[in-house]
Amino acid sequence: MKAAVFLMLALAAPAAGAAADTVRSEVDARKVGLDDRLELTITVDGQLQEEVALPSLRNLQVVGGPSVSTQISLVNGTLSQSKSYTYVLQPVMVSKAEVGPVRARMAGGERTAPAISIEVVAGSIQSRQRSPRAADPFSADPFSSFFGGVRGPEPKLFVEAVPSRTTLHVGEALLLTYYLYTQASVSDVKFVEAPQYAGFWAEDVERGSTPPAGEGVTVGGESYQRYLIVQKLLFPTRPGRLTLPASTLKLGIPRQSFFDRGSVVQRPTRPVVVVAEAIPDEPGFSGAVGRFQATATLDRSALALGEAATLRFRVEGSGNLKWLDRAPEVSLPGARVYPPQVKSEIKAEPGGMRGAKTWEFVVVPQTSGTLEIPSLAFSYFDPQVGRILRAQTPALPLQVGGGMTAGEAPAPLAAAKGAAASLALRADLDPAQRRLPALSGSSLALIAGVGLLVHVGIWAAARWRERGPLGEGRSAPRRSARAALHALERAGAGGLTKEAAATLIEKTLHDVFGSLEGEEDGERVRAARALLEEVEFVRYAPQLGDYTETIRDLAARAREVVRRWA
Amino acid sequence: MGLRLVGLLSAAGLVAGAAAAGGVPGGERFREANDLARAGDYPKGIALYEELAAGGQESASLYWNWAQAAAARGAPGEALWALLRARDLDPGDRAVAREIERRREASNLDPAEIAPDLWAGWARSSRRYHLDLLGALLVLLSVPLHGAVRLRPGARGATALLGLALSLGLVLTLGSAASSLTRPVGVVVRRGATLLDAASPTAETLGTLREGEVVPILEGSGDYVRVEDSSGARGWALAPDVRRLQGPIAPSR
Repeated sequence: MKAAVFLMLALAAPAAGAAADTVRSEVDARKVGLDDRLELTITVDGQLQEEVALPSLRNLQVVGGPSVSTQISLVNGTLSQSKSYTYVLQPVMVSKAEVGPVRARMAGGERTAPAISIEVVAGSIQSRQRSPRAADPFSADPFSSFFGGVRGPEPKLFVEAVPSRTTLHVGEALLLTYYLYTQASVSDVKFVEAPQYAGFWAEDVERGSTPPAGEGVTVGGESYQRYLIVQKLLFPTRPGRLTLPASTLKLGIPRQSFFDRGSVVQRPTRPVVVVAEAIPDEPGFSGAVGRFQATATLDRSALALGEAATLRFRVEGSGNLKWLDRAPEVSLPGARVYPPQVKSEIKAEPGGMRGAKTWEFVVVPQTSGTLEIPSLAFSYFDPQVGRILRAQTPALPLQVGGGMTAGEAPAPLAAAKGAAASLALRADLDPAQRRLPALSGSSLALIAGVGLLVHVGIWAAARWRERGPLGEGRSAPRRSARAALHALERAGAGGLTKEAAATLIEKTLHDVFGSLEGEEDGERVRAARALLEEVEFVRYAPQLGDYTETIRDLAARAREVVRRWA
Repeated sequence: MGLRLVGLLSAAGLVAGAAAAGGVPGGERFREANDLARAGDYPKGIALYEELAAGGQESASLYWNWAQAAAARGAPGEALWALLRARDLDPGDRAVAREIERRREASNLDPAEIAPDLWAGWARSSRRYHLDLLGALLVLLSVPLHGAVRLRPGARGATALLGLALSLGLVLTLGSAASSLTRPVGVVVRRGATLLDAASPTAETLGTLREGEVVPILEGSGDYVRVEDSSGARGWALAPDVRRLQGPIAPSR
């Protein structure tokens, strides 16, 4: 879209006058019939301060318009504006007619266009005579419009896809340029469908910020303006005969006349056939095709043990740099080499893809002394030579000084050796018996869970027993026994009437042992029944004396029974 | 579970017996590594320590010596890693604890920067005092105690003992179980180790990790691990730059 706007601006450039702040008044005929119509066009180049008013008319009347159009042009970085007003006029009577002078207030002051005289005759003469339009800003347009709304012939324009070459190697760049050839103004250019490049790897060529300029060319004996639309760098990915299919472009044609609404035409390119030759392969070949240089550098030539150096392996040149994804193997005994980081500075230009790719390795020496970064090789195919070439970097020395402990200054190697001798090392490995096996988290969780479940089971069983009947020899629920002992203690402590105390003892015994009816005659049942009979006797005995001692004795005996049997 | 515990204890006894009868395996290689380190050949000495550790001869003494050699070589991060590993193996080794503190101060690290997870402290205590075994024993012991209390409800001392055994046993077992679920951590062992925005050689650098800092390892991907530093920044680091404190030792070279 951006490209289309640029193109439109560029194509409009020739139409825009170079002069600033001018006004022109033109008619399409100086002699008309009474039945004819004529077109008045007022064109203002420059920055208007206010709208241009209709000039005075003599023996003419307005039958259409005004139609206003504005064109903005950018030429050599200078923005210019052109505005035109178009009126359709008709004579009133057979006589002289005149369009009065046109005045326009511009930024640079008032500008005036002279009056135009017109001769009006009887009948109609338009089909026989038309005056040429002098100094028309659209005169470059060969498809001049006709008053009355009938379009002229289809504008002459076509598009073309031009390869920079048709024979090349796999991985080598081919520049494909799309051109527009036109004799008309074009307002918009775009592909109907994105072009397909099967068998190629495509890269857009970066365009400058300046709009494309047209150039005059002659095709088939006719003059055209040729504009560059877009350029692509194509790299064949496989050998053989490859075809770039036709692409269709949609071209917008601006309005040509007052009644013309403009149009959109489509133009296809012709298919392009390219022959890609295979490239040889050999072990270590990187897949790079072009002309390259390889360099290796270290950010420092000496460092202390424990510090890191950065090794940069850079491949620079012109070719399919983006295909390179394999870092060179760097093996350095006595040092740890970390996987590299990759940095790319690649530009796609009409001449091909240029730039550099850099692999940065962090090298951490593990020992002091002089280390040697080995020579690194880079193989690529040079299409000009027609074979695989091998670039080799020189070996790089790296001086590693003695180690240092945290917070200490680097020490000389001799001092480091002395420190080594005094290392506080332990003489023997720890015996294995010092370690007990540790339980895993899941085992611990299992133990805790199972333990809890067992506890819950025990508790549930006890509850079940509490709620079940008390048989011979079975103890009462713990809570019942405890409560019963407490109640019996209260009954024997005094402070209650003999009836109340007896009732409490009787109730407590029944709570603990049940009703005792129908139970087998065991020692427990006999003891409880005997006690209950005595309690009942005391309860209903007349109040003839003090029963406190009797009640205390009964409560004590009842506690004994409960302790023993419950 | 009781059987399992008995089995574990028996295995420990067997190992102890074997060690007492035949000496410590790998002792010769250990002494050889010590000689190399004393001679100033730290890389080879460390390589031998690493070989022993990878072979299952891990012990606090081995990591202690490794730490000394690494420190002498000028790798404080690796030294701190070895000491932390020693402490994990033998939490009761006071010399290791003192040395960790000394190294931490020398590296200008905050105590929190080498102890990002509070549960890790529980885990160490658990290993040192065998809290996991004690808790399991208490839970198991509480079961017969509960039975006894149910059978003899009047025995108040037994009830209190049951409550104490069960609650303490549960706290110890569940605490030890929870501490085993802590995130794995690693120690930054390279000065200027970078924190990247992706696990890729072309990733952008987010910042730099501090050598010796202990960082939680969130995940791993190829040659990279995702970590979170003490400031909360998350990113990817090269796996060799961050050595794990837990798990088996894998040869790094």
